[in-house]
Amino acid sequence: MAEMTRHERIMTATHKKRADKLPFLGLWRHLQVGWVERECRNRGMGIYWHRPCYISKMHGVKSSETQVVSSGAVVLRRTYSTPVGSIYLDEKREPGVEQWKGLASWRDVSPWQTDRLIKGPEDYKVLKYMVENTEYIPYYFPIEQAMDWLGDDGVVLDALPHSPWQTLMIDWVGSEGGRFFIHHAKYPDLVEDLYRAISKSREPLYEIAAKSPAPIAFCGDNIDGVLLNPKLFQKYCMPEYEKEAKVLHEHGKLMAVHMDGRVGVLKDLIAKTPIDIVEGLTSPPMGDLPIGEALSLWKDKAVWTGIPGSVLILGPEAVKKHALNLLREVGSGDRLVVELATETQISNENLLMLTSILENADLPLTKEKIDKIERSLA
Amino acid sequence: MVKEKYLESLKESIVNLDFNTVVEIAKEAMDAGVDPHTAITDGMVPGMTIVGEKYETGEYFLSELVVAGAVMKEGMEIINPYIKGDSSKRLGKVVIATVEGDNHDLGKNIVTTLLGVQGFEVVDLGRDVPTDKIIAAVKERKPDILGLSALLTVTMSKMGEAIEALKAAEIREKVKVIVGGSPVTPEFAESIGADHCAVNALEGIKKCTEWVTPQEVR
Repeated sequence: MAEMTRHERIMTATHKKRADKLPFLGLWRHLQVGWVERECRNRGMGIYWHRPCYISKMHGVKSSETQVVSSGAVVLRRTYSTPVGSIYLDEKREPGVEQWKGLASWRDVSPWQTDRLIKGPEDYKVLKYMVENTEYIPYYFPIEQAMDWLGDDGVVLDALPHSPWQTLMIDWVGSEGGRFFIHHAKYPDLVEDLYRAISKSREPLYEIAAKSPAPIAFCGDNIDGVLLNPKLFQKYCMPEYEKEAKVLHEHGKLMAVHMDGRVGVLKDLIAKTPIDIVEGLTSPPMGDLPIGEALSLWKDKAVWTGIPGSVLILGPEAVKKHALNLLREVGSGDRLVVELATETQISNENLLMLTSILENADLPLTKEKIDKIERSLA
Repeated sequence: MVKEKYLESLKESIVNLDFNTVVEIAKEAMDAGVDPHTAITDGMVPGMTIVGEKYETGEYFLSELVVAGAVMKEGMEIINPYIKGDSSKRLGKVVIATVEGDNHDLGKNIVTTLLGVQGFEVVDLGRDVPTDKIIAAVKERKPDILGLSALLTVTMSKMGEAIEALKAAEIREKVKVIVGGSPVTPEFAESIGADHCAVNALEGIKKCTEWVTPQEVR
């Protein structure tokens, strides 16, 4: 049988069938370019690429940007003016932003908001106006272009925004100082009203993603059970996932959700969701759910697992130990895709170590095969 | 209302995460002449202790811990002006910061609140704090403990940088260093020469308390 392409390997595992080898891939925006990247791709590393499938327009909203000094730091202030009031956010940028990969800095850190759009209760009505006057328009060129460029070397995913609750928690209110939780406790009506408005406004977006040529829609959440406890996950995230999945599945499309936090406390609830791919799942010591246990629990899902940053920072020997342990705990290795990093750039040494292990991970995995890989590294 | 009733209501308002009641009862208690220190130590602090216990048993989650801290803070804002001088005995002093390049301060803020509840004097340097500012604060404030927090793996190295700077300033032996944050592991803490890696906020507080408590009292 001919060897699978990287694309076939990733999609076969993701469709819960057995691939020829354990698929492994690098996230385009964390991947350096150069001789190590070439070597790793020659060893079988695929690439996955998030691209937008839409453009959005806000009607009746004016925006402007200016540089200001806030709390002693130079920040970029973006102000939105609407008929019901104005709100602004401040953004701090590291060196390298706009000189590297778009908005990433030299260290691959994205600009961070030092002041969020919602600061107090008076800001909710302005943001609600913006949400209710946002129009989503299909725009598939970035997807088509990436698919053309990538070919069989990887997979392209529709990049969708955070789900409504996570949009509020991560992007618009923010969890700094616990602000989102405090707002939710003090102003529950305002928070829930805006949540419902976002949820309604996103409905056309799911249709747009469902009809894009990419095989997978990526819901850019950032699920962590410590921040997002089971009560909140069940009440605010699960219904949205069900709504989104229904539309995507009607068009034969897979749904991925980024869950790179400590999800042990959510594991039984995640099992009940219609999500096809738990993406970015991070094993201990950063995460708290072993990958083998996740695969056993979520038999109707594929798991794309990341290598924890806290292992990468310890260097290639720690990476080797982690990768071999991972292979030993995942049974046959079916339904599993290994992501070489989901949150930070990988050093040359780590990348070479990981790919020297993964390139030989033929499926189904067995103890003998893994022992042989280990001996080859000695 | 008798004093005990005020104290019970303050405690309950924290446990029930009730912003309105804590402010209302704190005002009433102060108007009724309840000693402000007693209102804090015998009213609100036991409330936070119960919240901490509920967190440890899984009945409450991080969100409730954060909100309880915010409720207590609002109550303290009413009571603080009634406190004359600083007659309270402090358990120890902690300088705490989220390291440079990192804007995530949720965990640090929870620890700061709980340290205050426990009786520590806390010097909170905030988030995205450069190493030289941390070292200057340690030199000036002479804390028993330095707490460093990071959420991003790309900023974790700043923790090691701070410890090296303490050594260079010849003050490393004068202060215990505790590190914490989602990506921070005991292995990493050991590799940079920290004294302890906090598994979570409550465990970190216990370690800090242990450090400042004489051996024979433990």
